[in-house]
Amino acid sequence: MLTQGSGRKAAALMAVVAVASLGLSACGKSGPSSSSSKVLKLWHYESADSAMGVAWAQAIKEFEQSHPGVTVQFEQKTFEQLQKTAPMVLNSSNAPDILEYNKGNATAGLLAKQGLLTDLTPAVAKYGWDKKITGNLATTSRYTNGVMGSGDWYGIPDYAEYGMVYYNKDMFAKYGVQVPTTFDEFTAAMDTFVKAGVTPLASAGAEYPAQQYLYNLALSKADQNWVNQYQIAGKGDFHDAAWTYGATTLADWVKKGYIAKDSVSLKATDMGTAFESGKSPMMVSGSWWYGTFESEVKNFAWDTFQWPGNSLVPGSGGNLWVIPKNSKNAQLAEDFIDITLRPDIQALLANKGAVPVAAQPADITDPKAKQLVQNFQTLQSSNGLAYYPDWPTAGFYQTLVSATQDIINGKNADGVLGSLQSAYNQGLAQ
Amino acid sequence: MPKSIATAGGPRTRRGYAVLVAFALLAVFMVLPFGFVLLNALKTSSDYSAHGPLALPKAISFDNVRTFWNLVDFTHVLWNSVLISGCVALCAVVLSVLNAYAIGIGRIKGRLWILVAFLIANLLPQEGLVYPLYYLAKQTNLYDTRLAVIIVFTVIQSAFGTYLLSSVLSAFPRDILEAARIDGAGKLRILWQVVVPVSRPTLAVMLTFFFIWTWNEFLLPLVFLVSNQNQTVPVALGVAQGEHIVDVTMQAASGLLGIIPAVVFFLIFQRTLTRGVTVGAVK
Repeated sequence: MLTQGSGRKAAALMAVVAVASLGLSACGKSGPSSSSSKVLKLWHYESADSAMGVAWAQAIKEFEQSHPGVTVQFEQKTFEQLQKTAPMVLNSSNAPDILEYNKGNATAGLLAKQGLLTDLTPAVAKYGWDKKITGNLATTSRYTNGVMGSGDWYGIPDYAEYGMVYYNKDMFAKYGVQVPTTFDEFTAAMDTFVKAGVTPLASAGAEYPAQQYLYNLALSKADQNWVNQYQIAGKGDFHDAAWTYGATTLADWVKKGYIAKDSVSLKATDMGTAFESGKSPMMVSGSWWYGTFESEVKNFAWDTFQWPGNSLVPGSGGNLWVIPKNSKNAQLAEDFIDITLRPDIQALLANKGAVPVAAQPADITDPKAKQLVQNFQTLQSSNGLAYYPDWPTAGFYQTLVSATQDIINGKNADGVLGSLQSAYNQGLAQ
Repeated sequence: MPKSIATAGGPRTRRGYAVLVAFALLAVFMVLPFGFVLLNALKTSSDYSAHGPLALPKAISFDNVRTFWNLVDFTHVLWNSVLISGCVALCAVVLSVLNAYAIGIGRIKGRLWILVAFLIANLLPQEGLVYPLYYLAKQTNLYDTRLAVIIVFTVIQSAFGTYLLSSVLSAFPRDILEAARIDGAGKLRILWQVVVPVSRPTLAVMLTFFFIWTWNEFLLPLVFLVSNQNQTVPVALGVAQGEHIVDVTMQAASGLLGIIPAVVFFLIFQRTLTRGVTVGAVK
């Protein structure tokens, strides 16, 4: 039983492991750094068939054509991976030369504050990017001490996002409902659906959708100054007319059956499925669904309209191109950003269902996409992007999720707004 | 006589059926989530959006599986996971044996405190380890190498292994050790030719668990394996989850591909696991 073999086998095994490990460390080190400076290391996290994925693949092609001798080494990352590890990666020699990163104080702002991002202000002046990214769009690109709104440029968005009402044309026709142009027509349309036993609005309480309903309702009683006070000045008042109207109306809508009570525990994906499967004829959410619906909805015709009566909608610039401080090819990276802002790439974004920041409507061939971009440009010219309700302080998203859940569950609106106010004040004081 | 058997057998079979039905129900509940994963993995995304997650697929489609496989270069990712988990399982078992030999059989001084230290190290949440390990890896030029993950998990797993194996070995029959010593075996020879073969079932169980635990690790591989060419299976599964939108069918497909290797590994080593458990019980 006690043979010599087992000992020898174990020793051999250990030797194999040791050799394997050595090989690993060797190839890990030599892989990325062996090539010269003529490689542009680029990361983003958009899937290959999404609008951004398609447009940026084209941008990479054009970049390589106009920069002979330079190859783009692209890696598709996951959203979560960059969200969790970017500060560590960018602080190492393994940082890419350029990457897509999340806008916001807790993400791009934090990296800018830590000195991990290249200040793009000189490049903005050189390429004239500030002519394309104007007004409220530029808010997420500029950070002072990690707080967005003003100061130096640290990121450039290619696309924007804004809220709208997606509607099922077939169901509207079936129940004889016209596209509403006023708020009263909007509620009248929903009454028609409720009477027919259909829940008019798809929603989801466990994630961002429900709080966007709340914010849309509040915005219907607000103006640009209100948005600035709430989002930037840190002087939001949850007991003012707008928030009170928003909270009581949302509770009222749940009571009337416009929004299903059991949507309180649903996720955003469930909301999308409820709309796509024809369970609910309307869904209020951001332009990020547009491309998905274009490729997935086959059973019915659909379109969008703006929330009737609102001149302000949730929305902002999209995620940013940033250049790490440790980028070895910052100059090439700037060239690449400039290519993504060219009319042809911008038009490609639009035709694939995204909202480009600087497209010429004339370049857009798809009529629906043209409408999407025109709606955006109207909003943008009147500074109608009101950002998102969770922006003012870090961690406010979760507070808003549970607050809207409380409202949907029928808790007293006054108490819920009070708890939002204290979380808001506390977050700002930190 | 035959009658009495029948009466004795009646209630017993009835009870047997009740137990069978209960277990069958339990099995259905256990298998149900896997069933849903399979169901949605084989749908197209328009099929999913039109009919929801519970409907049967209108047509079996392997598109999602294929797209995901190519998107993340799953063959390579799979190899990374096998390599990392395999190396960790082997190294951690060897390290645990060496430690436990000193602590459990050698009965070195202060063994209780060493074990307590190991146990505490084992209870530390990995989130707390991320930054120190990150700086260490950067200092040693091991950041973004699979070796870094192998070293880290070898230490983490062998901390638990040492704790477990030390208490097993402290109950090792002294007569066998005594006999080997009288026969002239040195310490090393006793370890490799007496202790290891006798406790092989325990070691096999440890090996299996270390492999599966390391396989399922997410946070540290996510942080340490930056390049796509170094990624492991659980990290690659995140690709279907965007900022606002989850590609459900793709997620199901990736989930399916993530589960299969673990199930296969479990089936292969299932006998080792049960044997390890029963050997201990008979003793």
